[in-house]
Amino acid sequence: MKANIAICHLFYLLYLISDFGGKMMQDALLILWDSSGLNDNKNHILFAEQGDAEIYNRICDIAKSHQKIKVFIESTGFHSRKSQSASGVKSSGLYTQALSEGLTEVLQSYKKTLVEVESLVIGNHKYTLSFVYSYVEKFQGLFNVLNKIITTIKQRRLVGCQILSLIHQFILNGNEMVHVAMVRIFSCVNKVFVNQLCTWLLYGELKDPFQEFFIYKNEKVEFSDTFLSSPSSNTCDKSLVSTLQDTTLDCGYQLTSNMIPFFMPLSLAQEILFIGKTVILFSYDPKKIKRSQCFTSRAVLPLQRCGVESRRFTIWEEKEAEFHNTLQSLKKPEVIEVANLRCVIRDIKECVTKHLWIVAVEEAHLLHELQLMKDFYLLGRGELFLELLRLTSHILDKPTTRTATRDMNHAFQLAARAVFLSNSADIEKFSFELPYVKPNISGNSTIEDDSSTVADGWSSIVLKYDFKWPLHLVFTPEVLARYNDMFRLLLRIKKTQHDLHALWKTYKQSTSFSMCQLHNKLMFLMDNLQHYLQADVLETNFSRLMDAMAKTNDFERLKKAHATFLADVLSQSFLTVTSVAQAHESEHSDTTDSLNNPVFCNIMELLKLCDSFCSMGEVASDRETEDYYIRGYSDRFNKLVKQLMQLLVSLRDQPCGVFLARLLMRLDYNRWLSGEAQLTQSVTNMLRY
Amino acid sequence: MPSEMITLQLGQCGNQIGFEFWKQLCIEHGISPEGILEEFASAGSDRKDVFFYQADDDHYIPRAVLLDLEPRVIHTIMNSPYSKLYNPENVYLSKHGGGAGNNWASGFAQGEKLNEEVFDIINREADGSDNLEGFVLCHSIAGGTGSGMGSYILEHLSDRFPKKLVQTYSVFPNLDEISDVVVQPYNSLLTLKRLTESADCVMVLDNTALNRIASDRLHIQNPSFAQINTLVSTIMSASTATLRYPSYMNNDLISLVAPLIPTPRLHFLMTGYTPLTADHELNTAPKIRKTTVLDVMQRLLQPKNMMVSLSPDRTNQHCYISILNIIQGEVDPSQVHKSLQRIRERKLASFIPWGPASIQVALSRRSPYVHASHKVSGLLLANHTNISSLFDRCLQQYDKLRKREAFLEVFRKEPMFKESLEEFDESRSVVDDLVQEYQAAATPDYVHWNPESSQI
Repeated sequence: MKANIAICHLFYLLYLISDFGGKMMQDALLILWDSSGLNDNKNHILFAEQGDAEIYNRICDIAKSHQKIKVFIESTGFHSRKSQSASGVKSSGLYTQALSEGLTEVLQSYKKTLVEVESLVIGNHKYTLSFVYSYVEKFQGLFNVLNKIITTIKQRRLVGCQILSLIHQFILNGNEMVHVAMVRIFSCVNKVFVNQLCTWLLYGELKDPFQEFFIYKNEKVEFSDTFLSSPSSNTCDKSLVSTLQDTTLDCGYQLTSNMIPFFMPLSLAQEILFIGKTVILFSYDPKKIKRSQCFTSRAVLPLQRCGVESRRFTIWEEKEAEFHNTLQSLKKPEVIEVANLRCVIRDIKECVTKHLWIVAVEEAHLLHELQLMKDFYLLGRGELFLELLRLTSHILDKPTTRTATRDMNHAFQLAARAVFLSNSADIEKFSFELPYVKPNISGNSTIEDDSSTVADGWSSIVLKYDFKWPLHLVFTPEVLARYNDMFRLLLRIKKTQHDLHALWKTYKQSTSFSMCQLHNKLMFLMDNLQHYLQADVLETNFSRLMDAMAKTNDFERLKKAHATFLADVLSQSFLTVTSVAQAHESEHSDTTDSLNNPVFCNIMELLKLCDSFCSMGEVASDRETEDYYIRGYSDRFNKLVKQLMQLLVSLRDQPCGVFLARLLMRLDYNRWLSGEAQLTQSVTNMLRY
Repeated sequence: MPSEMITLQLGQCGNQIGFEFWKQLCIEHGISPEGILEEFASAGSDRKDVFFYQADDDHYIPRAVLLDLEPRVIHTIMNSPYSKLYNPENVYLSKHGGGAGNNWASGFAQGEKLNEEVFDIINREADGSDNLEGFVLCHSIAGGTGSGMGSYILEHLSDRFPKKLVQTYSVFPNLDEISDVVVQPYNSLLTLKRLTESADCVMVLDNTALNRIASDRLHIQNPSFAQINTLVSTIMSASTATLRYPSYMNNDLISLVAPLIPTPRLHFLMTGYTPLTADHELNTAPKIRKTTVLDVMQRLLQPKNMMVSLSPDRTNQHCYISILNIIQGEVDPSQVHKSLQRIRERKLASFIPWGPASIQVALSRRSPYVHASHKVSGLLLANHTNISSLFDRCLQQYDKLRKREAFLEVFRKEPMFKESLEEFDESRSVVDDLVQEYQAAATPDYVHWNPESSQI
């Protein structure tokens, strides 16, 4: 035995086997080192004791597990990735490499144990196989876990962040050793993750050659990106600015939902995406790109390109190092708790949104722009639109022609000049568009009434607004479409009111009391509808918006306040049936959607009634036909008003019911309309507003 | 420039209140007495062009025509710092300078005689505006020039400019005082007929009420003309605030007037203003109270703040035909709805039973160049049926004189009354019809009231 053991070490080194007992021990140790050579020669091994066969098998199992891990490490390690990427295959990425490094680290303790055992075995030949086993047994659990991870990765073809989350799931383990090992592996993989996170958050850069991060960039935008940063494209500023304004915050980056680590909530991932996108957004600043053309061709890092004078454009200012350190500290596995991560992200986001606020509010004058939105889209400049109506109602009454857009804009300029606004730069930002639709010849079957509403300019006019970068974050196409809905409604009401007022002087000479009375009722309705919309809805909500704006210096909150404002205005103007929460998120971009609001339909009917009343002069020539028309219109008016009041009952549970009550309070201020409408008792009870 | 207004100032009183009005407008728009825009006002977004136009050297000239038959007041204006403000071509003084002797008939006859010259000025002024909306006539109904000549001009303005609005600021005489103009009831009655038939909208400025407000509310003993006129100019400037300061609504006169006047003849509007401060109070111990929208709107409905003195309503249940409040200052817009609701619940204002009526509230900006001691101030424009009591008093006074056939010889001197005094009877019946109509408007039966029966 003694001799056997003595040469054991030699054998171990030289792969020489002379004695069965020694061979057994030797085999065991050797296998534990490297089981690649393990094959069918088991049969030749003779065991010293009977139970040894069993123990040997167990050792072999451990060895096999170890072997599997080793194979994995080798196939995914740095060298293999190098050779793979050289040959163009991208099967594994940085995360797998990090994993293999982590595994190697963990296996160190195993190797150390082996060396220890070996030296013990050499020192004392009496040691049995069970002695060796007792040392390596504890690794069985660890290897099982590791192999489980490896097989899961292979089976599910996990890459990138998925690996990270998989490992994270194994951290919590009752076995102390496994736990420690998993933490070590995790910290290795986590380093990659934190590095990627760090470059994304601070520089808006995706250092992700293997698509392993949970944020990816689509190809389509990559094209435009190269177009932007290509030095050869000496595009004129205007087209550049316009392209930039088309870039919404999305700018091609999106979340890959299956890549988001399990330990990270979706909201947090979205915040991370937002921060990176905002950083990118700042690197798209038209001013800076112009500057970058003289500095450097590549437009990647905002920090690289910034000259001294544009230093204030950098988001982080002196905080960059601080954030970098905090992010780097996340590499420590004990630090990367969701709570900590969230904290850091919060801080960074606050910084970003503050910067965004500064750019939007102080440099792009958001508050002023909002005032403009109110002045133009919401008809705040009453005198301008009064003049515009005077000049253009004949254009808008007719179906749109090809030249309508040009005529409209020309009239707009004239109106602006008339009210002394033409020299203000703000006017330049607004323009009209009357989409020309070829008249549908086949659609002869449509009702006369129907075709007229579709075709005229009142329902199709679009007010366009040319805003400063980066306000497209606030005024997205969807938002502008909603503003246009409001604009069309308000313009229509103003036009009707204007027409009714124009008749006032005429009816003053009229002797027909019923005519006067009907004219009054319609005028009263239009005036009060407008008062309701402008004072109760617009002014009230706008002052609330301005208060909210003044209180915050966080861009996100600002954006939210604006969205709430718009949603409130829309719902209170009965332009939507959906509740407030859905209003700004839902994707109805068509005006036809809003038509299903019963209150809105009713108001539109009343507007139509007013219009036909105004044009009555052309139809009715003598007193009798006039009386006939007046009776018809009065009946219709009463019916519609009654309907409006009854709507209150059916809408009382909905938010817009409250606002219908407000409108009705103005209309029925002296309780005349409700008396006239002869409502049922139950409706009258409801009408207490 | 759209919606321009031309101001016609007639007679002693008309020119005085007009003068105060322009003074106020100049201050509010930051225009110096010479018509030059002050430096601090260069960036304003107000609409000066409704009442002013710019000369070639850019200085502002009021769209005002100053007419008088005697030189005293116009000379005062021309010797004031504001002398250079007006276009001298628009200042018309009759050559003889003898005035109308407080005689309506004389004023009317002179108006006829000077018709060509006066309308030359008005036409020229009208041609100078792009889209004239109407005329504002300032005058008193009791004197000679303002009432007589004013009546003539009123009759012919609507002929010459049938599509333009004619608004008047008509000063009604103080009935608490014994007037030095003995024929005042005659003058008033004759003018009232024209105001009823030819004007589109009459802002009634009742000297009785103005004096009462000056003494009761502002604690001025024996208020001077200037102090009364300050009240008037406050009202005039506030009632044109929405025209001059662009806002979402009421940007032209018609949109102010049309909702207030549902039936053609009932176009006499009362005004009210709160809070009022007098200059002397400002200097000594300014009593500044907290003003809110509700507070202002409630005060505006109190008779004591009304600039028309109405006799208490005994027989008839009088009511509002319409109300428009122009609220200026730092207003929380959400307060408007709450205030309206509160007033409705408390039934602070009763309205006509024959048609829809409400309090309309227009929010307007205030001039940034005028220091306001109160956060919120409000002007009330109301069409109230009880204004008939004012006309009724005029009728009573007229009847008293007429019964005695007193002072009629002054009128008989003029060709118009040489043959007969039919004009008086006609005017009386017009005014009487007006009173009747106002009283009828307070009842639900107004719907069946036949205006044709009252047609002359």
